[in-house]
Amino acid sequence: MIELAHVTKRFDDAVAVDDISLHIAKGKFCALVGTSGCGKSTTLRMINRLIEHSEGDILLDGQPIAAYDPVKLRRRIGYVIQHTGLFPHWTVARNIGLVPRLLKWSAAEVQAKVDELMGLLGLPKDEFAHKYPHQLSGGQAQRVGVARALAADPDILLMDEPFGALDPITREKLQDELARLQAKMHKTVVFVTHDMDEALRLADHLVVMREGRIVQQGTPLALLQHPQDSFVESLLGGLERGLKQAALTRVKDHMAPMGPTLPAQSRIPATFSLRQGLSMMLRDHTDRLTVVDQHDVPVGELTLRKIVKEAQPEQGKARES
Amino acid sequence: MALLDALPSPQMAWRQWRPNSVLVVLLSVMLVALWLFDVVSVSPNRIVSGQGAGLVEAMGWLGALLVSGVTITLMLLSLQPGRQNYQVALVGVCLLLLLMPFGLIVASDRLVSSDMPQARLNMGMAYWLMLSLLLLCWIELRLRLALPRRWTVLMLLGVALVWWLCAMWALEALALGQEFRARNDEFWRALRQHITLVSVSVAISIGLGLSLAMLMRRYANFQKVAFGVLNFLQTIPSIALFGLMLGPLAWLAAQWPLLSRLGVSGIGWAPALLALVAYSLLPMVRNTYIALEQVSPETLEAARGMGMRNSQRFWQVRLPLALPVLLEGIRITSVQAIGLTAVAALIGAGGLGAFIFQGLGQAAMDMVLLGALPILILALIADAGLGALSDILRPKNTVRPGDAQ
Repeated sequence: MIELAHVTKRFDDAVAVDDISLHIAKGKFCALVGTSGCGKSTTLRMINRLIEHSEGDILLDGQPIAAYDPVKLRRRIGYVIQHTGLFPHWTVARNIGLVPRLLKWSAAEVQAKVDELMGLLGLPKDEFAHKYPHQLSGGQAQRVGVARALAADPDILLMDEPFGALDPITREKLQDELARLQAKMHKTVVFVTHDMDEALRLADHLVVMREGRIVQQGTPLALLQHPQDSFVESLLGGLERGLKQAALTRVKDHMAPMGPTLPAQSRIPATFSLRQGLSMMLRDHTDRLTVVDQHDVPVGELTLRKIVKEAQPEQGKARES
Repeated sequence: MALLDALPSPQMAWRQWRPNSVLVVLLSVMLVALWLFDVVSVSPNRIVSGQGAGLVEAMGWLGALLVSGVTITLMLLSLQPGRQNYQVALVGVCLLLLLMPFGLIVASDRLVSSDMPQARLNMGMAYWLMLSLLLLCWIELRLRLALPRRWTVLMLLGVALVWWLCAMWALEALALGQEFRARNDEFWRALRQHITLVSVSVAISIGLGLSLAMLMRRYANFQKVAFGVLNFLQTIPSIALFGLMLGPLAWLAAQWPLLSRLGVSGIGWAPALLALVAYSLLPMVRNTYIALEQVSPETLEAARGMGMRNSQRFWQVRLPLALPVLLEGIRITSVQAIGLTAVAALIGAGGLGAFIFQGLGQAAMDMVLLGALPILILALIADAGLGALSDILRPKNTVRPGDAQ
């Protein structure tokens, strides 16, 4: 659990972070979003004391972070940065095993952990263990970066625009994998990004920052439905908000039972997002889709009329399912 | 116009024909020099200047034509450059380099009669020109073929070995060899002194350079002052600096007898070592400073974020990543120190420079060569060896992660 209470950071005279308070429950994924220079990175780096805060309290499991030795604190917190920061003179395996070695694990333990993480992140050991970072693609390098951050089983993971330098396809793939990992591991994650889609997709808790202050925070759906001001609204995509909200909803939550009419030609898996369903309707010039399960067996249908009717503010418990 | 351009024209054919002008020029100069100037000269004893001999006189018509033939073949090869031709040319150049000492053997057979035991064979202007031009050709070919440094070091060592064997076993009359045999013990002692002076001064400047560079990184003001002082030291002429050491060191030795018992005095190894260290510091500190500074800040930030302590960050990340550039500094410093140590002989520090200054004093050029050639070879070995080491360390280190995408 991470708690920030009235935290301020000043660099000489400039105020980078201005009196922010934030509570991140254990196992939750919190995304800090905002334009460049809004203080989101500074906030992140104050948590592992790469930057010392000027005022207020930062608590980790109820303990003020000032009470920890900064080096020991950082070894307990996974840290992933945009340009990976992998050590270019070390192999992939050695890079991943860094923190366990700093913590003086035995060689066998380090080896076992490295093997486990390489498997978990889809980096076949035989192929990658002995490669050097410059031999990796951007996506592979960031997988290694994530593996390194997870190596000492930290409860907390700090990620500073981890996918910002990747191409859209690789980025999406890594986002999916991060979501999959998080569903399995339940780390407390603080994730900085300026990509709103990324934040909406991954976060349980969304924090919008501007000029060092928190403008609004809440669940992604709550922010989409009730943006506090025009800044939050524009950050959330303005007119695109409807589609972004649809992206957070699953098809099966808007599905109707099979009607008496013939099933529609176009089929969509129940686990897809509503946004994908709407896109498919536009593409196939239809207002009706047949919803199928994982075995391609029809289980219901999705109609435009029902979606529009149900797009009420109270709808959207979908995320929890 | 467009139609004309599209047609194959003699001009286009001409444009494709691009001879390697560097090689052609080098080889033509060599050919002309071989036929115009003296290849070797023979003198009846050490002091009397020699009687020159041209290519035909020294080698006979057969030898002269063989050398010229190989050279012309090389020229023809460099008119039509291509990887294969370059490879053949490289073999040819190496062959000529290997044949050169045998040429001397032939010349000594033909020109030095056995009833003149004091007679000695000197290498002439054309011979030296040929040697240097061939080395230049070799460098050009090495660059064109992009040969790795390790290969080139091996090839040079092979050529040097053949030269050495010839000089030892078959060239009784060669003046350089005679000088060497007359001063065998002296030579090895001087070589040892030279190498000791160089390695001790480089070792001290590595230690000092590293500490100074680290202090500079911590205190910005100190950096300006230190670079100012070092730059100033570098501008003092070497002989002047050696001279400047005389007074203070003699005074120190007089004040503290312990120092003089250790061998510190106004002349000898102590002032030489001090001056060498003073000169070595600038390149050493500059390269060390740059080497440590060029390490990517992201990597260092990551190291901090992972929970590495400052000392761990320095020894495990910053220093290993700085190593190739740092080695480059050691290379420059060593090569410079090897040359400067020759001057140190002037203040009685010994070393190979002693032969140079003695030889100059006695107008015995062979003795100068006996000092100068080993210094040259030492410098080349240090340059190639440390360069190769830096190359080996480099590939893994230079490319930053994430750049591959």
